[in-house]
Amino acid sequence: MQAKNLHLIVGLIAIIVALAILSLMVGPAALSPRAALAGLFDGEGVAGIIVRSIRLPRTLLALLIGATFGLAGAALQGLLRNPLAEPALFGAPQAASVGASFVIAYGLAGATSFAVPLAGIAGALLSIGGLVAISGRRASLTVTLLAGLALASFAGAATALILNLAPTPYAALEIAFWLLGSLEDRSIDHLIIATPFFLASWLLLALNARAFRALTLGEDAAASLGVDIDRTRIAVVIGVALGVGAAVAVAGSIGFVGLVAPHLVRRRVGSDPARVCLPAALMGAALLLAADVAVRLIPVNPNATTIELKLGVVTALIGVPFFLAMIFRERQLLAGAPS
Amino acid sequence: MSMLKAEDVVVRLGGNLVVDGATFDLKAGELAVLIGPNGAGKTTLVRALAGLIPAEGRIAIENRSLASFAPRERARRIAYLPQGHAFHWPMTVAAVVALGRHPHGDVFSGLTEADRAAVGRALLATGTAPFAARSVTTLSGGERARVALARALASEAPILIADEPTVSLDPRHQLVVMELLARIAHDGAAVLAIVHDLALAARFADRVLLMDRGRLDAQGPAREVLTPERIAAVFGVEAEIIDSGVGPIPILHRPVESPPRPAQ
Repeated sequence: MQAKNLHLIVGLIAIIVALAILSLMVGPAALSPRAALAGLFDGEGVAGIIVRSIRLPRTLLALLIGATFGLAGAALQGLLRNPLAEPALFGAPQAASVGASFVIAYGLAGATSFAVPLAGIAGALLSIGGLVAISGRRASLTVTLLAGLALASFAGAATALILNLAPTPYAALEIAFWLLGSLEDRSIDHLIIATPFFLASWLLLALNARAFRALTLGEDAAASLGVDIDRTRIAVVIGVALGVGAAVAVAGSIGFVGLVAPHLVRRRVGSDPARVCLPAALMGAALLLAADVAVRLIPVNPNATTIELKLGVVTALIGVPFFLAMIFRERQLLAGAPS
Repeated sequence: MSMLKAEDVVVRLGGNLVVDGATFDLKAGELAVLIGPNGAGKTTLVRALAGLIPAEGRIAIENRSLASFAPRERARRIAYLPQGHAFHWPMTVAAVVALGRHPHGDVFSGLTEADRAAVGRALLATGTAPFAARSVTTLSGGERARVALARALASEAPILIADEPTVSLDPRHQLVVMELLARIAHDGAAVLAIVHDLALAARFADRVLLMDRGRLDAQGPAREVLTPERIAAVFGVEAEIIDSGVGPIPILHRPVESPPRPAQ
């Protein structure tokens, strides 16, 4: 079991390294692997500028955001003991979208400036405060879920309202494209803004991984094993909101990675909801990196309003076939599992 | 030695008085069986004793207030087996039983040799070792019940509280489980189990606690607690007590004509 787990992790890391190198090579000016790596390590010439200031931040962001989504999905599925849980459940990404859309709509900033991620992160933080205020600190999971649902719906409506009231059609279009998610033109500064939130999120979720394992027995049994259920719930809600909120704030909405990444690795770790966390994060990173390479490779009509396909579109397009394949393979097993 | 002591324990749930002044003292080496009709407050009482819900009155473990224990410290003293035997993920039996060692590890530690040994003993004691590698979601109800018990045993806590450990078991495994609980008690643990089968309670309990409408009506040896009059008054069943080779066994005849109280 342990050896199998190690193989899985090493395999995923190898895939991520290969995809990262590919990500440094691919773009309007294609580079050979040798040129890309030379540009990365010595930073000289045009290749150096392209790799270090354009493709490296983008690659790192794809890695960090993908890992955050994968881990957040695994953590929420563990907390809720439900394989359908996904990071948007408590409204943090939707709230981040509201903040970012507002800034874009009213021309406070362009879609790639820092004001957008900062407003997005502020939105996500507000959603945490709102969730705790509505549901209370010792709320049951059901109340927390309902409060999250209310917040997510409200945030969705607020984004729609901002789109609706956008001062110009260009602003509306900019928001619409931003909402589809992209890592185009993101710089090292975006990385610096978001990384502390990612790290805080990972730490909070990793510290609660063992509680997810105990929770497989239900809340009473987990509490009797010494798990502080209230503290675990609030830590996971905050951890997910910090990470996913920052991710959405930087890159726009990217769906599916958080839902699908844990499923793709779960069987390999014996369905252990604690042990699934690290492989799910790595799988999330690999998926998002692959999607971000794909958007740069798939040719798009040059007369179109946008140069690249949007990332959120591609994650779903890549993710769904994987997901379907897994469902067909596991249909028998899932049929026997308790709901 | 007093392991688990309750004095005037009162539990209110959503404004309702569910447990109304329970007092008893469970000693090391004792198997106590808690009986009572549906809705008597048995599960609520044992959840309070396990520290899962707040209660008024005084609950003490080894003469120290339950509230003063940190959750993990408490979990090393009390193993609790809830009703229902839920397993939410298709983990292996061995992995589920190993969850019983949760209170002994810390955030990043894996299983130690001592943990593995305890898991092995729990698997053997419950007869679940033969399917240790199988996924819990593929097991029958009876197998699941024994795996759940094995998980509770694996923590090797000095106090074991089990809520209906024999439910959904066939007759043979009901006896196996009750014998196992008796053996754990006689090896020095304090065991409190909720059991619905009066015959099993009478046969295995060192002490029977009879609960009705939130109150502990009677406690003592089965011979004293389980009288035909009490069984009629509390359970609404006409019964006789037969002295069999294995002790006094209540034989239940029929529901009494007028129920002991209006249905709630």
